[in-house]
Amino acid sequence: MAFIKLVIFGFIALTVIYWSIAIYARSVRKERLEKSFDAANPSSTDRAARDAFVTAGMTAYNASVRPKLLGLVYVVPTIVIGSIIYLINMN
Amino acid sequence: MARVKFVFRLLVLAGVAMFLHYVLPQHDVVKVTSTEVIRTDLGSFNRIFFASGDSGSATPDTRDLRLINTQKQNTYILGFIQRDTSRVMVYRNEDTGWIWPPYFKFNSADLQAEAANLTRGDAWVVVTHYGWRNRWLSIYPNAVGLRVVDSPDVTIIPWFNIAFFVFLLIAVVFLRAMWRQLWERAVDPVIDAATHHIDAAQADLAERRGRWFGRK
Repeated sequence: MAFIKLVIFGFIALTVIYWSIAIYARSVRKERLEKSFDAANPSSTDRAARDAFVTAGMTAYNASVRPKLLGLVYVVPTIVIGSIIYLINMN
Repeated sequence: MARVKFVFRLLVLAGVAMFLHYVLPQHDVVKVTSTEVIRTDLGSFNRIFFASGDSGSATPDTRDLRLINTQKQNTYILGFIQRDTSRVMVYRNEDTGWIWPPYFKFNSADLQAEAANLTRGDAWVVVTHYGWRNRWLSIYPNAVGLRVVDSPDVTIIPWFNIAFFVFLLIAVVFLRAMWRQLWERAVDPVIDAATHHIDAAQADLAERRGRWFGRK
């Protein structure tokens, strides 16, 4: 019973962490794209070109391996707990 | 007000420090002198300092408690500096299971057997434990591991605690960065827009008022 409780609440907690980091990473990426566009075209007032540049950059980001690495949020704690169980209980 | 704030922060910090001091593992150098089992009726005061009972069992607040009696080497500053004197120390030996604190200890029976075995010799043992000994509350630190060492002056490097505090530092810095990003990208623009609206509305109002009352 306690094990099921741990799995359920652990999963909920890790999901919250996963989405927080995912949103944060996207936001940082988007800001960087905007800034690099502004740096390349300092006097541009072309809103559509800027949006297109940012959208293309975000599509490339979503297709890359980086957002998939966020899955480690679930993997690493599981490995840590597994090693703690092993280290504590082996004689 | 500044003083109240300071005291409040100090109290929060002290609470966090005490919590970590209770939960994080520590190491003592001891000689195991005996092991025993006592029946314990937990009170409402000290209940939280003992492991949770099995969720399926009906009478969780009375139990047999495994104890390990030892002669412990004294230390200064959380065990970092060894002293030559010694005193008695009693550890409990309970499973934490899947529940708090997350030591995932299931081997209390084996640990008790190991401790009983060590009472036959005169070996120095490093006890890994968490928790406090408090006579008034009748609480004992929970032993989670025993390791035989050659002499009482071993150097113990708290690897887990080092890793834990590094992780904590990274987590705090990361959380701060996330919070700032949230404000910069999501909250501030909304506030700016709202302020702009309010400004526009006020300007509009001032203009109307001027139209109605301005020509007096």
